[in-house]
Amino acid sequence: MIETQSLAKSYGRGMFALRDLNLKIDRGEFAFLTGPSGAGKSTLLRLLLLQEKPSEGEVIVAGRNLSHLTRDEVQAYRRTVGFVFQDFKLIASKTVFDNVSFTLRVLGQPIEEQRRRTYQVLKWVGLQHRLNALPEELSGGEQQRVAIARALVNEPHLVLADEPTGNLDPDLSLEIMNLFRDINARGTTVLVATHDRELIKWVGRRVIQLDHGHMAGAPGQGS
Amino acid sequence: MSVVGYAFEEAWASLRRSGRSALVSIGTIAIAFATLGGFLLVSLNVQGVLDQWLQAAEMSVYLLDTTSETERLALEEFLRSQPTVAEVEYVSRERALDRFRSDFPELSDVTAGVGENPFPSALEVRLRTDAGGDAAADALSQEVAGQPGVSDGRYDRRWVGRLMGIVTTARLIGALAAGILMLGAAFTVAAVVRLSLYARRDELEIMQLVGAPFSYIRGPAIFEGLLLGGIGAGVALIAIAILYSTLSRWLGSDLAGFGGIGQLRFLGLTEFVMMLLGGIGVGAAAGTVAARAVR
Repeated sequence: MIETQSLAKSYGRGMFALRDLNLKIDRGEFAFLTGPSGAGKSTLLRLLLLQEKPSEGEVIVAGRNLSHLTRDEVQAYRRTVGFVFQDFKLIASKTVFDNVSFTLRVLGQPIEEQRRRTYQVLKWVGLQHRLNALPEELSGGEQQRVAIARALVNEPHLVLADEPTGNLDPDLSLEIMNLFRDINARGTTVLVATHDRELIKWVGRRVIQLDHGHMAGAPGQGS
Repeated sequence: MSVVGYAFEEAWASLRRSGRSALVSIGTIAIAFATLGGFLLVSLNVQGVLDQWLQAAEMSVYLLDTTSETERLALEEFLRSQPTVAEVEYVSRERALDRFRSDFPELSDVTAGVGENPFPSALEVRLRTDAGGDAAADALSQEVAGQPGVSDGRYDRRWVGRLMGIVTTARLIGALAAGILMLGAAFTVAAVVRLSLYARRDELEIMQLVGAPFSYIRGPAIFEGLLLGGIGAGVALIAIAILYSTLSRWLGSDLAGFGGIGQLRFLGLTEFVMMLLGGIGVGAAAGTVAARAVR
């Protein structure tokens, strides 16, 4: 599903966030991206989401090289990827329902379809009773579940998450990780960047360790 | 929902959120278009007056009291054979007096006091506007003055031409002033749209991340500019209509009488539609420029 070939990203002379990264994640796989701060986890996710361009090397997702996409192709590609961030990135002025249906709305989906799929996915994350609440009225865990619902509503093949439990307490973190496990169980490829070793151990999936932009070791399996 | 529906809905919501800055933007557009419309209105009416004056006798050939019928007919034939001449009309002394009395009834005492008819008979010559201009008319005026039976030849159109020159210059200055104001208005619209984009930056970032097409991302900004421009031009047209209605009620008959036209003219449907479309166009262009900031 995801392949990087000699991938490098530098910010200025000699400041490498990623260096000669060769990585492969299979379709339907659940993998953790871990390492200390500055290891390059977020940079890799930004490259996968095409928020930045690589300095060197290639990024291939679902057989498609992302290096040479036009502006419109970038947007079309992003429609096949769901994303979840540490800071949730919810629109403060919109309700839970609108935050999720917004994705379908700007993709031009018919209104009935927007309603049906939004309700379905919010029910799946257990928030069907908070449809009209504003983000500020929700707990951190609930906000992250809204963000996950938004990532899933367009039924992506790949879900990327950058420190999705960074702002949550351990119980809520487990709850969120369970959701990611369920997403993966439906066949969606999931890549989660986190430095929470306990959580990685608890979920027990493949771990990709980064250190100073390098792979710290061969891709291993979590316990 | 279609991209147009979405863009319109978001633009309208953004306008309502913008409040005072949107009002300032609409105000500047309205001032620019009111200036343009005002100049259009004035120039339309001045043009009407000038057309009226231009249609009046352009060259007068005054005849001697002793001019015979044969000499007059020969003169008419001579004038009609000239390429610059469109029409020749004979005005007898009696008709000239009647015309003076009817045009200036308040001066009827003057003619009564004189006793006999002071007006000479004349040939009123209308010239073609496209046949040689003032130089040809001057040459003809001098040539005809030397013909037998002619007391004097006068070509009075030159001052109308000069007046038209002044009006054209004033019109150009008006268009330039309106253009500069419109440019200022466009910058204001662009600034307001940019502020709206800044207020929606989280939303725009999310839209980009979920892969929304650029028409959805930029469309609302373009429509916001379009709405600001259209509303501004609409306000300007309403202001001009109110001003025109007030002025024509108070001074309309005096102004029309001074210009020799039946009544003052308001902007036609074409000018109305052009101004409205102009406002929409300026607004949409400013919105498009502002929306280009979203990459």
